[in-house]
Amino acid sequence: MIPLAISVRDLAVRYGRRLVFHNVSFDIAAGQSLGVIGPNGSGKTTLLRLLAGCLTPAAGDIRIGGLPPREALRRTGVAYFAGDATLPGSVRACHWGNLGNGDSVTPDRRPIRALSRGTRQLLGLRTVLGRHPLGLIVLDEPWEALDRDAGLWLSTMLETKRDRGSAVVLSSHRLHDLAGISDCYLFLLPHEARLMRAHEIAPTGSVTAAQLADVFDKLRGGAASFRAVS
Amino acid sequence: MTLDSSKASGGIVPVLLLQLFAASSGFAVPARRGHYDLLLTSGYRREWIALMHWWTSIAPGIATWLMLAAVEVVASRGLRTTLLASGTCAAMTLVSTLPWALTTRLPRFSGGIGWLLVLATSTTVVSVAPAIPATTDSFDPATLVRSAWSFLIYPPTFVGHSLSPEQIAAVAPALTLAVAAMVLACRWIVRASVPLEAAQ
Repeated sequence: MIPLAISVRDLAVRYGRRLVFHNVSFDIAAGQSLGVIGPNGSGKTTLLRLLAGCLTPAAGDIRIGGLPPREALRRTGVAYFAGDATLPGSVRACHWGNLGNGDSVTPDRRPIRALSRGTRQLLGLRTVLGRHPLGLIVLDEPWEALDRDAGLWLSTMLETKRDRGSAVVLSSHRLHDLAGISDCYLFLLPHEARLMRAHEIAPTGSVTAAQLADVFDKLRGGAASFRAVS
Repeated sequence: MTLDSSKASGGIVPVLLLQLFAASSGFAVPARRGHYDLLLTSGYRREWIALMHWWTSIAPGIATWLMLAAVEVVASRGLRTTLLASGTCAAMTLVSTLPWALTTRLPRFSGGIGWLLVLATSTTVVSVAPAIPATTDSFDPATLVRSAWSFLIYPPTFVGHSLSPEQIAAVAPALTLAVAAMVLACRWIVRASVPLEAAQ
């Protein structure tokens, strides 16, 4: 596996006339994880799709291991999952599970639409994380709908992959999950994007969800709405 | 039950019409729903993804056509091969390519529905019967144009025919249009930016 560093410079995205975000810049070293935090509609999903090569930015540059995302996809494995809603409901779960690396993820022969939301989420995660090798992991709200056991499995899996050299980018509203796993945090606000390393948020010890909520509230001007959902 | 191989060319018409709809599979809508994320991030070249999408859309129709052709050959003990005649091949090529290319950015089946609308409105103006006989002594440009249009809007026009040079000239514009549309559709898929519906 090639260890991948991510470099993003002056990124801007538009949907028609609507500017989603602009001037987003950050660097992530290989084997580090980035947590993306922001209010609804701030462009978290869009940023992750840019990193996965599904979108082209209106301006700016993304380099993954020195290459544009689509070329990086061809050089190393990328796990990208944007949630259970992106799975095609008519496909059988066992068939979808085989698409990761050919190994069976589940023997369940039911169509995906017949599964519970959490089971669908787990199926999607296990399929993409089953790819090997994995240089980059990009997951959008990965803990959503997972029960406690599945959530712990995911956190452990992500830490293991990160420690083996994969770059990990996660977005989540569940700050306690992000706090436990991320080395740095990108706060994506309507008119500002701010990258903060874990030691800048918590100089001593590990980052907590409460500290993340405090930083987020300060950056957005004191509003406390995010704390309510964290 | 008996098999009448002489009616095989009539049997292919429903298959061609069904292929028209099967090929109208649409790429952009399921892509925007994230259904192709696993494929788009698999590292395969987008050109291959486009061609795989096209092939999986048309493969059932192609398999049905070849199976019917095999039945015809076996039932007639090799004497009749109308389902493998060049006119039938041209028709199958057209219904397997142009609807897919035209529907790439549209919802599923819209290419087939649009084609039927054009056919329904055009038949009041132009006959869909083959305008050019198998052999002709004189070249008539007006007849050629009418035949080309007939083939474009109603691909079964030349089913069962071994195409004469004049008939080849009549099917060539539609097939050229289909190839050009395929190239443009593949280029669009290669360059496409695919936002999630929910993220826009």
